[in-house]
Amino acid sequence: MSRLARLSPRRTERRLLLVIFAVAVLGFLLTGLGLAERQALPLASAILPALIPPLLLAVLFGGLHLVLRWCRLEAEQLLLPIVALLSTLGLIMIWRLRGESGVYQQVVRGFVPGVVIMAALALRPRWVEQLRRWALPLSLVGLALSLATAFFGVVDETGARLALKLGPLPAFQTSELLKVALIIFLAGYVAREGEKAEGRARPLLGWLRLPSGQYFIPGLVFVGMGTLALVQMSDFGAVLILGLLFVGMLYAGFDTRLFATVAAIGAGLALVVGFVLVFTWHIPTVVQLRFQAFLNPWSEAEMVVDGQPTGVTISEGPGYQIQQALNAAITGGLSGTGLGFGSPEYIPLAHSDFIFAALLEEMGAVVGIAVLGLFAVLLLRLLRLAALLPPAQVFERLLLTGIALHLFTQMFIMVGGTLNLLPLTGVTVPFLSQGGVALMLNLAEVGVALALTRRLEALPA
Amino acid sequence: MDLFSSHTLLFAGKWLFVALIYGALFLVVVAVRREMAGRLPGGQAPASTAVGRLVLQQAGGDPAARPGAVWQLKPDTTLGALPENDVVLADPLVSGRHARLRWDGAGWWLEDLGSTNGTLVNGQRLVPLTAHKIAPGSQLHLGDMVLELQA
Repeated sequence: MSRLARLSPRRTERRLLLVIFAVAVLGFLLTGLGLAERQALPLASAILPALIPPLLLAVLFGGLHLVLRWCRLEAEQLLLPIVALLSTLGLIMIWRLRGESGVYQQVVRGFVPGVVIMAALALRPRWVEQLRRWALPLSLVGLALSLATAFFGVVDETGARLALKLGPLPAFQTSELLKVALIIFLAGYVAREGEKAEGRARPLLGWLRLPSGQYFIPGLVFVGMGTLALVQMSDFGAVLILGLLFVGMLYAGFDTRLFATVAAIGAGLALVVGFVLVFTWHIPTVVQLRFQAFLNPWSEAEMVVDGQPTGVTISEGPGYQIQQALNAAITGGLSGTGLGFGSPEYIPLAHSDFIFAALLEEMGAVVGIAVLGLFAVLLLRLLRLAALLPPAQVFERLLLTGIALHLFTQMFIMVGGTLNLLPLTGVTVPFLSQGGVALMLNLAEVGVALALTRRLEALPA
Repeated sequence: MDLFSSHTLLFAGKWLFVALIYGALFLVVVAVRREMAGRLPGGQAPASTAVGRLVLQQAGGDPAARPGAVWQLKPDTTLGALPENDVVLADPLVSGRHARLRWDGAGWWLEDLGSTNGTLVNGQRLVPLTAHKIAPGSQLHLGDMVLELQA
């Protein structure tokens, strides 16, 4: 019997991908028709161009589905459809906001390399073991790249130094790379030294136990250097994510008593350092402005930096983008204005940071809630997979925990910022926002999860 | 009002779009639910009263063991030479932490924890660090010792 005939069916995944293909065709068609209707162009001319992006998505994700069937993998049929649906919704919004060139840029720089990496990881799950072996050098390269960006990076039109240009390659943002480097670093370090260091722990106060410094000081140094690079880049969203990843992965990797001790010491130190910074030095200007805008984005009061008025009111300054995002969400209401009928072009950065606001305006809260639901299922699937892996595979379990936290916190911070529930910090929404490197890395992270799924497969008896 | 005007079509399309997205979400929820149902038959909590025992068939190199000895299984049972295991097998060819048996609510899963000499079920070598479903009545070979799973 040929190998093709014995491929695993993956029926749930196939059914879901077919529904998602319908979503893509309908979504792109509606966007094209909506825009044509609005500009009073003949509707028929909008149909053909709208069919190309769904076909591209179908080729990529359908191909990945076939690769997984080729691997005869039967487990975990939800990760791929969830990623495909989020990517589809994001690509529809990018088409709406940036036109065809935006879509092709996203597909060529993000989807194609990302999906190729996913397929390669699914076919060669042993590469994850290579990742463990090379964890330290890889993560140090990531750290070095972001430090290089912070001090020698390309200055973009807004004056921020976020991208690095190496030789003939196009400039790329490195803060995403730093987060992935931290995940790999912590997973590798805890897996290698964890048991030894826990054995050396000393009793501190009753229930609390102090781990030996060797255990957490390298992680602290890594996070410290990364934070330095990001503060230099003024990328405070990334600082927040880096901190959340650090705390989350230590919680997953440490014994509870050790974690409680380290967390208490860390919180105390953070308070002290925070107060010292506030009273002797100054809070970074961006943070001051963001907080004032967060507390009242409509305020006509002047913004204050270090006690000095700046001559610009909050609502004209950083409050403006929050206002526009909230306006978009309110305009959209329950079911949205319809694709192509809103005016998301008034939202600054609608295609990247604020893509969720643009989505709320044109697709409405119903679709927004569905997106949040998809992210919740994604988080649970990844954590469940981490829990199902054998306890001895510390590196793999921590890697998955870090990946789950990375994807979820980005979405959480950005949606919170969009709805003014959190101070605004610019990060991308995984799978939705435009951004080649970020999308590629997020897809690769899901690829790692697929590769590890293969370890759970039982052989046919 | 023209029923087939572009406006009506776009309105219908918008809601069809929402319906399809929720259709996908519904399929996801159904799949998760089916998976959970497979693990927890009849919607009961994971059986803390996992039914199963291991019966020693061949004592191998363990001087203290006698064929016919019985171990009652917990939902998560470890096997190996070290005394901290639930099932201690003092055969020289059994690794310290050799294997692990887990109950998923419906059946038993055996995983070789990367032992030196491997684990065989009914003569078939298990891929290490991977859980394999095993049927009641299976013969487990760890080192020179043979155990039978009885459920």
